[in-house]
Amino acid sequence: MRQGAGNREQGTGNREQGTAWLVAALLVGLCCSAGAQSIVGLPSAATGKGHVTFAAEVVEVAAGKPAVVELRFRVDEGFHVNSHTPSSEMLIPTVLKLDVADGVKLLGEEYPKGSAFHLADETLDVYQGEFRVRLRVVVPKGQSMLKGGLRYQACDNAACFPPRTLAINVAVTGK
Amino acid sequence: MRRIAVAAVMVVVVCLLFWAGWHNMRSRRMAMQQARQTPVTVTGGEDSGPELKLQGKAAPAFTLLDTAGKKVSLADYKGRPVVVNFWATWCGPCKLEMPWFEEFRAKYKAQGIEVLGISDDPEQSKDDILKAANKLGVTYPLLLPDRAVAKSYGGVEYYPETFYVDKNGTVVEETAGAPSKDEMEANIRKMVGAGQ
Repeated sequence: MRQGAGNREQGTGNREQGTAWLVAALLVGLCCSAGAQSIVGLPSAATGKGHVTFAAEVVEVAAGKPAVVELRFRVDEGFHVNSHTPSSEMLIPTVLKLDVADGVKLLGEEYPKGSAFHLADETLDVYQGEFRVRLRVVVPKGQSMLKGGLRYQACDNAACFPPRTLAINVAVTGK
Repeated sequence: MRRIAVAAVMVVVVCLLFWAGWHNMRSRRMAMQQARQTPVTVTGGEDSGPELKLQGKAAPAFTLLDTAGKKVSLADYKGRPVVVNFWATWCGPCKLEMPWFEEFRAKYKAQGIEVLGISDDPEQSKDDILKAANKLGVTYPLLLPDRAVAKSYGGVEYYPETFYVDKNGTVVEETAGAPSKDEMEANIRKMVGAGQ
């Protein structure tokens, strides 16, 4: 009997110990989660050395039919890149080059219009902030990869950076 | 007793949830505030800001071909102040300042200054360079690309980048990005006045 009571006490003790561990784990989890979420808000994590970033997204389209896939890019604040149709032939246009997987048809690309950027007495045609390139594609059922790169040349209002190519990987699922 | 303990734990958990939410919101606000207060880089390098690479040191020697196919060495201008300017045909700020170099080259002719423009993009053809030079009215020597020279000048990673070399061959000033016209003239005056 005493032994039984002892077991119950032991059982209660184990439950309390279990609850304590659960609370401790919850606390650790909460602290970690608070820290991780705060990192998401930091701008430096999103801005790269190349001054242009690509927002990769999960894309789902109807399989076997022409569909539009939008690729979203962001130019760092204070910088600009030439549009797809720059104001001078000496300037380097923004161009997307893609290698499409077998079974994927790339029907066309549509670049956005640029905005005017004034540098002394010259007016440039540029992308600033977010810009989107629209692709018209036909994809088969299942997941297909669109891989390639965006070639661009970035400047701020006093200096320019050499042309770069930003890697693009987009998983498109045909349903 | 056990119910009280469970209730206490629940109260603690709820308080922690509120604390985590508040902490998260505060961190986000601070990050946003920090982002707003961060000044936009105007004449910066790759996120680390301009770095003085050669000031006070001897200008690295080089020999390059000009657009006419003639060999041009920095040593050819020994005893004269020389502006060494790295540029590119697709660089707007470079083309903004190049006519100013032309103007100051004429203004300080008596002091013997020379400007050497080094095009620094291997993809640029001689025709591209000449086309840009004609459009800008540039008559000072324009030299063809050689990344090894850019490397010897600290690895030019953005344009324009300019080194003001006095008549003794010492870099007395260097700038990353296009300065104002007044700043450029001040640098030229410093270069001309140095080493007297």
